[in-house]
Order: sequence, then C-alpha cells, then structure tokens
Amino acid sequence: MNSEPMNPLPPNPLLEQFLSESADLLEATAKKLMQLEDSPDDQGILNELFRCVHTLKGNSGLFTFPEMTRVLHAGEDLLGMVRSGRAVYSRELADRLLDAMDYVGLLLGEIEATERIDASRALESQRLAEALRKLMPSLLSNGDTATAAGFQGASSIAADARNSLADGPGAVLPQLAAIPDAARKSALAQCRDGDQLFWIAYRPQRECFFHGDDPLNSARHTPGLMWGRVLAAEPLPSLAELDTYSCLLGFDLLSNAPREELDQYYRYLPEQVEIAAVPAQWLAKGQREMSGPGNASLAADPSRARSEDDEASFNRILAAQRQILLLDDRPAWHAGRLKAVAEVLANLSQADGETSARTDIQAALAEALTSSHNTLLLAWLDTWTATWIATWRAASKTMQPEASLPCVRGADGRIATAQTEGTADAGPFAESDPGKVRADDQIKFGRRAEDSITGPKSLKVDQAKVDRLMNLIGELVVSKNALPYLAQRAESQFGVRELSREIKGQYSTINRIADEMQDAIMQVRMMAVSFVFQRFPRLVRDISRKLGKEVQLVLEGEQTEADKNIIESLADPLIHIVRNSLDHGLETPEVRLAAGKPATGKLTIRAAQEADRVVIEIVDDGKGIDPAVIKQKAYEKGIIDEAALERIGDQEAINLIFAAGLSTAAVVSDLSGRGVGMDVVRSAVEKINGTVVIESVLGNGTSIRISLPLSMAVTQVMIIESDGQLFGVPMDNVVETVRVPKTLIHTIKQSQTAVLRGRVIPLKSLNTLLGIPAAPRSNSDDELAVLLVHAGSAELGLLVDGFQETMGVIQKPFNGLLSGLSAYSGSALMGNGSVLMILNIREIV
Amino acid sequence: MPIEFKKNRALFRDEVSVEEAEGLLEWLQTRSTAKVDLSALSHLHTANLQVLMTAMANISSWPKDAELRAWLEPALKRGE
Repeated sequence: MNSEPMNPLPPNPLLEQFLSESADLLEATAKKLMQLEDSPDDQGILNELFRCVHTLKGNSGLFTFPEMTRVLHAGEDLLGMVRSGRAVYSRELADRLLDAMDYVGLLLGEIEATERIDASRALESQRLAEALRKLMPSLLSNGDTATAAGFQGASSIAADARNSLADGPGAVLPQLAAIPDAARKSALAQCRDGDQLFWIAYRPQRECFFHGDDPLNSARHTPGLMWGRVLAAEPLPSLAELDTYSCLLGFDLLSNAPREELDQYYRYLPEQVEIAAVPAQWLAKGQREMSGPGNASLAADPSRARSEDDEASFNRILAAQRQILLLDDRPAWHAGRLKAVAEVLANLSQADGETSARTDIQAALAEALTSSHNTLLLAWLDTWTATWIATWRAASKTMQPEASLPCVRGADGRIATAQTEGTADAGPFAESDPGKVRADDQIKFGRRAEDSITGPKSLKVDQAKVDRLMNLIGELVVSKNALPYLAQRAESQFGVRELSREIKGQYSTINRIADEMQDAIMQVRMMAVSFVFQRFPRLVRDISRKLGKEVQLVLEGEQTEADKNIIESLADPLIHIVRNSLDHGLETPEVRLAAGKPATGKLTIRAAQEADRVVIEIVDDGKGIDPAVIKQKAYEKGIIDEAALERIGDQEAINLIFAAGLSTAAVVSDLSGRGVGMDVVRSAVEKINGTVVIESVLGNGTSIRISLPLSMAVTQVMIIESDGQLFGVPMDNVVETVRVPKTLIHTIKQSQTAVLRGRVIPLKSLNTLLGIPAAPRSNSDDELAVLLVHAGSAELGLLVDGFQETMGVIQKPFNGLLSGLSAYSGSALMGNGSVLMILNIREIV
Repeated sequence: MPIEFKKNRALFRDEVSVEEAEGLLEWLQTRSTAKVDLSALSHLHTANLQVLMTAMANISSWPKDAELRAWLEPALKRGE
C-alpha cells in the first residue's frame, strides 16, 4: 500500500526520537566494533555491542522499516552467537557488521528525509542480511529456520517441542494436524498463494508469572494470529500439588504476520519462542495428507467448515458490500471501490469453496466499470447470497455441532472488515495484509529498564535555539553599551551628576552579568573535538586496509573544546589530511622495514588549546614530502615558472602543496591524487579564520598544524577611521599599526611603498579601495597612519586616517540585497547604536 | 471481585488477574463438583487457566467473547 503523503507529514515525535537515538546507537556500535578489533576477547565490549544492535533492532521494529530490522536482526543473531562462543569474531565479521551499520545509517538518512524507506532497498537489505548469516556456523541448513539458531540459551521446559521444530520445516507439518479443519480452511482462505505463515511454539518459562508475563495474553495478541491453542507443556500435577505460580502451559500459534513483526512482538522472550515458517499451501496440503480416508468427503464439502460465526460474518460482509454497491455518489475512487467489492466477493466465494465464481465476478466487474452501472455486480451478489444461505441452511441441519470452535479471527468478522478496508483503498488486487492492519494498535511502546541507554546527562537542544540566545545576548551587550553614553549625556547635557553616577553603577552590574551570560552561552556552543575525531578510527582502519598498510592511530586531546561551527567545519579538512597522510605519507610495511622503521606506521592527531585558539596537529612518521618532486610537479602544471623553480626554498616548495591543481600521486586513486585536496583544506580552514602550516622532513614524516579560533561568535576587530567613517578590521588580519612619515613613502611605478623593518611593503589607501574620493589625512607631524595587514600570504599597508580601540563584536553577516557586498564580511552594532561595517580585507585588496 | 464465589459456583467477570489464582486453587481444591461460569469473562490470566485445567473444572457456561471461548474451550472441555 503506497501512501504517498500529499502534504508533508506532521512531525512524529516518536520517529524523531527514534532517529536521534539510532544515530547515537549507530555511533556507539561502530565505536564498540573498533574497540573489539583491538581486544576481540573482551566480553564486556561484546555485550555492549550486542545491546546496541539489539536496541537498534527493537526500536526499528516500532516502525514499519522491515529492511532495517532485517539487517539488524541478522547482525544481532550473529553477535549473539559470537557472544555465546558459537561464532568467532574476525575482521571479516567486523567488515560485514560495519557494512550493515553503514547501510542502516543510510536508511536512517532516508527516513529522516522522507519518513519512509524506498522499497528498492529491500534487495540490498536481503543481501546484507545474507552476508551476515553466512558468517554464522550453519547449525541449520534450511533458510526458513536459520534464524532460529539465533536464539540463545535453550530453555529446558520446551526443549522437546523446540527440537522438533529445529529439525526443519517438515517437522511442522504433523503439528499442523492439530489445527481443526475449520480453522485451517478459513486461515487458508485468508492467504494468497505464496504467503508465508509462521508456526509459533511459545513455551513460557516456569517462573514467567513472576516477571509479570501473562502468556495467554501474549498469545492472544500475537500479530497476525490465525489460530492458537493452549496445551500443557508438562504433564499437569494433581490439584493438590499444583503450584499456582509456576507456569506449566504452552501455546501453539499460527500467524500470518511478517517474521519481523513476530520477532519484534516476542523480542523480550526470544528464548521461549520458536518460530518456523510454513508456506500457506501447506495448510491445504496438510488437510489432504492428514485427514484420514474417512474424512476425505468431509474435507471436500466446504459447508462442513462453516460455523455459526462464519454465517454471521459472511452475512455482515455481504451486507456491507451490498451497501457499497448501492451508494449512488460517484467519487473519483468509484472504480477502486468497485474493484475492492469485487475482490472481497471473489475472496468470499473462494473461502466458501467456490472457485469458479471469480470469473463471473470479474465479468460483472468489467461490465460495471464500463457502463458505470452496478446492476450486474449487485445481481450477482444477491443471487449468490440467496444460494449461499440456502445451502448453508441445508448443510447446517445435517451437520454435527463442531467439536471445538476454531479460534480464527478471520471468521469473527473483525478481520473481515479490516480486509475490506484494506482492499478498498488499495485497489483491486493489491497486497492487503490484515496482519499489518491489526499490528498498528498492538505495537508495544513500553520499554524495559534494561533497554535504557546510559548516556551523559545532557540535553539535546536545537541549534537554532542556542543561536537565538546568542543573538539576544548580542543585542543585550549592545544596548548595555548605550548606558555609558546615557550617563555622559545626563552629566554634560542635563547637569545631573548624581543620576550619571547611578547609571554608571547600574551599568557595571549589568555589564558583569552580561559578560558572564555571554560566556555561559559560548560554553553551550562549545563542543569537544572528539566529535570530529571519533570518525577517524574507522576511517583510518578502512583506508589502511584498502592500501595494505599497517597504521596505528593515536588520538590526543579529544576533550579540547571549540565552538560548534568551528568543530564542524574542521571535519572535512581533517579527513582530507588524514587521507593524504595515509595515501602519500605512510609507506607499506615492506618499504618501512627496508627504511629501518617499524612496520606499523604511526599517525597522531593531537588537539590542544593555545590561548584563544585551538591547535590541531596531524603528524605521521611516513616518508615525508620531497621538495624537489613538488617543485617539479608544480612547474609541470604551470603553477610556478622556471625562475621560481630555481629560486624557491624547500619550505616554500612544500607549501606549494596547498596550491590548487597539484597532485603528487602518480596514479589517481579513489582516495587521493585528483589534485583537489590540500588547497581545499586551506580554503576551508581560512574560511573560519584559521591557518594551516605544513612541515615535513624527507624520510621522517610530515606534520600539519591547523590553528583555529576558539569561537567565531565574537570577532575581535580593530576600529579604524577613514574619511570620517568608522570601519572594523578583524584582528586576525592585523599585523601592526604604524605611523609613517610622508617623506618615507616612495612611489615605485604607480604604487606607493614604504620600507618597514627592512622589508618593502606596498601601501594602498583604504579610501581608494572603497572608492571614497578623498586622500588619506595625515596628523600634525605629517605622518600617515598605516595599518599593516596580511591578506593571504602577502602583507600590505593600508593607509587610513586614524586608529581607535579594538573591541569584541558579534558580527552579523549581511543578508538580502546587501549580501552581494563582498567588500564587507558583515556588520556589528556599537554601543552608541551605530553600525560598524567590518571590512573583508582579502576581498578589497 | 473478578471471581465471585458462590456456594458451589464461581462466576468469572471481566479480567481475572494472577492474584486470583491462589484463591481459586484453594476454592477448587475443596469443591470437586464446583461449576465455573465464564460468561462475563474478557480475559483470564494464564495462572488461572492452569488451575482450571488442572482441576478439570466443570464449565457451566463459556465466555461470550468468541475469541476467548475459542482459546478456552478446547483446553477446558471435559471428557476429551
């Protein structure tokens, strides 16, 4: 049933929680798998891993994501076997499990985007589940019951019943004989060819009452239940010896619910339940084979199977169909409605043993569809109803009362209605799954205590909320800064000194609180770098295995914190660098051994806080970068000219790897070598006001150092004055401020230069750059104010009119029409309420 | 009370929980000819079912709930 939503679905809080929880669990699973790789015998990790996968699977079962559940179930079974020592942990196994987890992650993404899983995923899910199952020791060769092997710990109570099932599906056949013919027939009527049924042998533990279980209740509410019986799993004692609180009963059930749903339903009692697949045809086969020769005529006479309940529900269904046919409105779905009716009638007649009726109904339907009259269908319905009731009456007179009433839900009308609904909106011959309809109200949302994930006591807050707080505190800071101006006015303009002092007193209090608040909100936005680091063990493992290298990854300073935006934008550059190190830096074990190094390479990723910056170093002990090779490559690609080839030093040559379009790898692999990489790294780092420095010693390894601001929220700017206007320049760009006597400024060709500390610095007037028609003003000593900034790798002197203080501002990016102004990186509000434009130095020079 | 014990007849009503099982057992142990009326029953905890099965109780009327009846009748029917 494909229910494409016309409108976006309302957010489902349960689904949202599922998604966020699953993401956490997936992460934990991957982490545990990596840990297990280092210590494969650690039972504790294995248990936690099992629990993660188990919970994931259980949660996925709350929704109809069978693709996900299938894979997770296989994973859970496999881990269960590893846990109990029946399967061996191996790299291969870890690979398959990681694949499965990746796939689940993919599905989660899909669910997040569309709230459903595309049906095309089913094949993939099957393949993955099979790959996992292949790793299980084949206790059972038959695919239908292979999952049964996943159950851990056989309970002695039901041991014999279980064994008989475990022998293969054939063992179920005699069991089917227990189903009364009537029940079997009507169960069969509910099925279509190829439907899979499940025989469930539920043998509750003796002490289950103490766990709050009510097995009869569980059995009664089994999804897709078609038939069930109570039996004594053990011989019942005499009444005097009976222990009321020891459960001796067992249940045999037949269900047409999907396997996943059954597993989900019994997920708390897997060791008490045995589920075996039974193809629907077996019900029919069973009937023929199992009924003795004397009963053959019985089986052939369909009326035998009818009970009073049957009659009542048949009548109800027929009446409902009649009513539908008599409706005289003609909605858009009229055709679908007719088809649904036809299908219900065909099913009914089939259930009654009348197989030829279907063609009659089809003809009547075709007539009704073309002529838009229902008369033929209606006529068929009425005649059939009449004959049916007549034969029924006749049959019931001669019939013995049934020995036992079949417990078939399909016969009591409830399901019949569900089926009607199912087919009515599904169209004629679409799959309608009564089990699903019912399952909806039976899903157990209650979770047990042991399922709760112990995590850090933290709140998950939407980032937008924190950003709003951030904006508000920014505004507070700005309006707070207006108070000193007010105090000044009170004194100078109105001459009330007392008031001025009071305002200043209040200001200092507000100032302190606002500062603390700002700090606190910054703290909220802080994230540990482990957020980025945690993906590296997996990345390094995968890549090094692919490249046939042995790499030991060392992570240091994972607790170092920085603003969320910084951390997030760090992820991609770091991955590039790590890939590069693995691909180009570290050598294969043979090469390493030949060079006198240990076979296992070492890759260290280290984070530390230095003053108001976070420094991240990626150090490998690989072969290092050969400046000569880089120079040659850069020359070949036209990045440097011949003169530069001769001139530049080793360090400068190494820095060339940041140039766009340079790739040193001889062969382009899927890892690196496409010539994008280090230049992307640099621009990504610079975008967040960071710097990246590379050092390399040929033969000894490479070290890349990324320095980033702790937070982007507050930008330190220096306020400069030019032509009477104030501008802000980010302190990151400022090298120094100097006053240069006009006489020391020389003009070489068209550009002005000055020699500062022995270096020739080009000078540019800010007014000119901004298109302001005014010359820079000099002070009384005939000196010009020069703001030395670095733009990219070059240094440049900006001629301005004067310098003012530096201050921390909360920079707001431009939006709307102004967003096209690349000369400014944003604006900030000053204490007196005026707007300060922040210059984007790199753009204007 | 979900089970109403009369002189020689037990009336089951609505949902009969696990707590009733002990009392039911004691009551049945002293009355071998007792009759059990399940007509107003909507659910029976397994423990009670087990007591009834062990006692091979004489069921005077079956639950009106057809589905429950289908579960109980084969299990509790006498002389089979």
